Amino acid sequence: MAEAAQTNQGPLTTIVDDWSSDVTTFKAVPWGKAMMWIFLLSDTFIFTSFLVSYMAVRMTQTDAWPYPSEVFSLEAFGTPVPLLLIAIMTFILITSSGTMAMAVNMGYRKRKVAVFWLMFATAMLGLSFVGMQAFEWTKLIGDEGVKAWQNPMGAPQFGSFFFMITGFHGLHVSAGVVYLLLVAIRVLRGKYDNTSFEIVEITGLYWHFVDLVWVFIFAFFYLW
Amino acid sequence: MAEVGQQHPIKVYFIVWGLLFVFSIASYMVDFYEFKEHLRWFLIVVFMMLKAGFIVAVFMHMKWERPTLITAILVPPLVLLVLMYLLAFEADYAWASRIVYFGGEVEPIPLSPPSHAAVPH
Amino acid sequence: MATAEIPYQETVPLHHPKTWIGKYVFSQDHKVIAVQYGITAIAVGLVALFLSDLMRIQIAYPGFMEWFVEDYYYQAITMHGMIMVIYLLTAFLLGAFGNFTVPLMCGARDMVFPFVNMLSYWVYLISVIILLLGYIPGLGGPTGAGWTLYPPQTITEGTPGADWGIMTMLASLAVFIVAFTMGGLNYITTILQARTRGMSLMRLPLTVWGIFVATFLGLLAFPALFVSAIMMILDLRIGTSFFMPAIVSLGQTLAHDGGQPLLFQHLFWFFGHPEVYIVALPAFGVVSDLISVHARKNIFGYRLMVWALVFIGILSFIVWAHHMFVAGMHPYFGFFFATTTLIIAVPTAIKVYNWILTLWKANIKLTVPMLYALSFVLTFIMGGITGLFLGNVIIDIPLSDTYFVVAHFHMVMGVSPILAIFGGIYHWYPKLTGRMLNDTVGKWHFWITFLGTYIIYFPMHYLGFIGVPRRYYENFDSSFYPASAQTLNEIITWTALVVGVAQLLYIGNLVHSYFYGKPAGDNPWGANSLEWCTPDTPPSHGNWGDKLPTVHRWAYDYSVPGSDKDFIPQTVPQGQSS
Repeated sequence: MAEAAQTNQGPLTTIVDDWSSDVTTFKAVPWGKAMMWIFLLSDTFIFTSFLVSYMAVRMTQTDAWPYPSEVFSLEAFGTPVPLLLIAIMTFILITSSGTMAMAVNMGYRKRKVAVFWLMFATAMLGLSFVGMQAFEWTKLIGDEGVKAWQNPMGAPQFGSFFFMITGFHGLHVSAGVVYLLLVAIRVLRGKYDNTSFEIVEITGLYWHFVDLVWVFIFAFFYLW
Repeated sequence: MAEVGQQHPIKVYFIVWGLLFVFSIASYMVDFYEFKEHLRWFLIVVFMMLKAGFIVAVFMHMKWERPTLITAILVPPLVLLVLMYLLAFEADYAWASRIVYFGGEVEPIPLSPPSHAAVPH
Repeated sequence: MATAEIPYQETVPLHHPKTWIGKYVFSQDHKVIAVQYGITAIAVGLVALFLSDLMRIQIAYPGFMEWFVEDYYYQAITMHGMIMVIYLLTAFLLGAFGNFTVPLMCGARDMVFPFVNMLSYWVYLISVIILLLGYIPGLGGPTGAGWTLYPPQTITEGTPGADWGIMTMLASLAVFIVAFTMGGLNYITTILQARTRGMSLMRLPLTVWGIFVATFLGLLAFPALFVSAIMMILDLRIGTSFFMPAIVSLGQTLAHDGGQPLLFQHLFWFFGHPEVYIVALPAFGVVSDLISVHARKNIFGYRLMVWALVFIGILSFIVWAHHMFVAGMHPYFGFFFATTTLIIAVPTAIKVYNWILTLWKANIKLTVPMLYALSFVLTFIMGGITGLFLGNVIIDIPLSDTYFVVAHFHMVMGVSPILAIFGGIYHWYPKLTGRMLNDTVGKWHFWITFLGTYIIYFPMHYLGFIGVPRRYYENFDSSFYPASAQTLNEIITWTALVVGVAQLLYIGNLVHSYFYGKPAGDNPWGANSLEWCTPDTPPSHGNWGDKLPTVHRWAYDYSVPGSDKDFIPQTVPQGQSS
């Protein structure tokens, strides 16, 4: 019915119709999905507050701000390649987003085994992302001497914000891995057989959001 | 509740997947070829927005949602732009104050007191 | 829509508890959770009330309580403010009223995710416990930095609780935000996705609208506080310098360097100003409903009331720096933020006029909830008008940090929402327990509280004008202000003590009436909204028996000409009158 009403009207009419209708405002959106979207909206505010704080502190900084592409360069074939590890991490996260999207697609086709393995692959990619982040942290702390409270290359806030923002993002990734594995196992066990597998999409929303945040961190922290 | 699913040809996902790689490489190249200042920032933001847009639109299925959900989720973050803009606006002022009052290399500008405040001590 | 949409909850079975613990302790029933929230909030609120009376005694009679040293005073200030704003008002208006009214007024069986809702309460309880851990002896007591917790002062030595007190405060806030997010997501999703047949958003009672907008504000504003709490904890424990500039403290140069203290204030008030409306908007909603029900007249300008709520909500995100006029921020900001602040007066004034126009020529019943609602309007006007003074930069600067500010925010966001809470409890108590509260005790409590409020806060405006500063442990012998200022302080203190003790009347009334109150029946006030249409009083688990109600009209059909009764409940079809 919702689809039928949508055919011949502009987006504004749809919006007004939906907001003035009874029972549900977001038509054909399950409770869990609506809740996840609103949660992600709230989470957006958390990450933006972090990034805006980073902006405010960096812009008011009178000490030198290190040049991230040199700090995060990695030796490959004898020459330092800037941001090599970060590039790999970015690609891994994008790949995991792709497998997650496929899992959602398979979910709606009710192919449970495919969903399980795709979600499992997503979780493993996420895990390797966290692993690389740990490697990056150790390298930064051990080799470069950057700590959360000090930075031999200039402003100490460089390290503070780096560890805080990537740490908070890494926590999101880790939580996502646990969430993915939990849902994947439940899917395989047939817990959601009576539903239309929207849980996979809800999990996917969270995972894509984590990827989305990384896009912003990559742009503002590593490239700026 | 009728059909709640999001069912789309797998092809779309592969195209977007590929596009995300392309944009990531492109933004990486911005750094690799050491673009500077405004061109660099502009390109970074463009590629960032493209990537974010595709993730939200296709992977998160925003493109296929009803406009009600789209506006409800995408409009509220606009208030963050106010916060961002104002803090950036103020940051220059704060930075300048630090240079003027704490910077060793720049002498504080000696201001003559305004005439109405010139009270003899 | 051609075919009616079937509410999802009619197709799913409800989780039914089997044990006593599942029914009353770890309950997933929204009504039980509401009561748990309410009791915890009132309990911790009494602590804050006690602290405020201690402060008042100290202000009026310095040296009378010798054990009440400076540190205790500043800790009392901080804890009083934080408890009242977050752990009492926010938790009560959204946690208790939100939980109780949202499913009942929307015609839902429960919140959409009852388990998460239950977690929300228990996490809230944990946050309260963490907050009170600050008072454990030997840790240096809770923080004494004032509820705004401005760095660098908050975490530098010399401020009470700069070591552990601030940790308990920040950790407790972070945990509270988690609890609020779990509850808030539930309220929003329930209001948007789980209404009953015929219940469109524009048929919702204004209480639900107030809670809806306030919860939305909370979900978007609390993140800023969460982020600043994390950053301050890192500054304190790890030694980062997010907020800490290069600073000399007690003759020692600290290791911090290059932080931006103003950033904290921006983040804090980016949360803090919406927080004011998180507290005010549900109170607006509750009062709108009380006035309409007890004046037997439809609310004037319902749609405008809704849009005013939404508009206030949006504006609240772009006015935050009016709390920072003297903070040394960018000089141009004063103009911008004063303008946006004054614009907020427009939707707020719309609301006030609509309340008054609802009362115009109405059949006003001066029941106890109505008294509270009317006093809310009066008090809110008082506080709102002084807000116009403080919203203008040039008047704000001399009045900053004086008692004028104290009077303003206590009137507008302290006492007003509390009055709305009293009225709301009084109004819904019969539905919650099946018994009426005692009217005589209620009236005594009302008059003592209402008149006491004015005796306490009215003179504070005057104290502020003559320059008495706030947050001073002791107003030393000063030629700045006359001796009569101290006399006023003594009067205020005595009144505050009386009002503080009088709150026991209300609590006693709640407890006593639960056992011995007059049986209320299903709809003692003759109200229209859905919660009065439940098949049982108090509503059983699942609220509606076998079938969800169907809504045919808005919640404000009072005194409709030609109908045989002066109210037509929402479940009555159009064209019929009862």
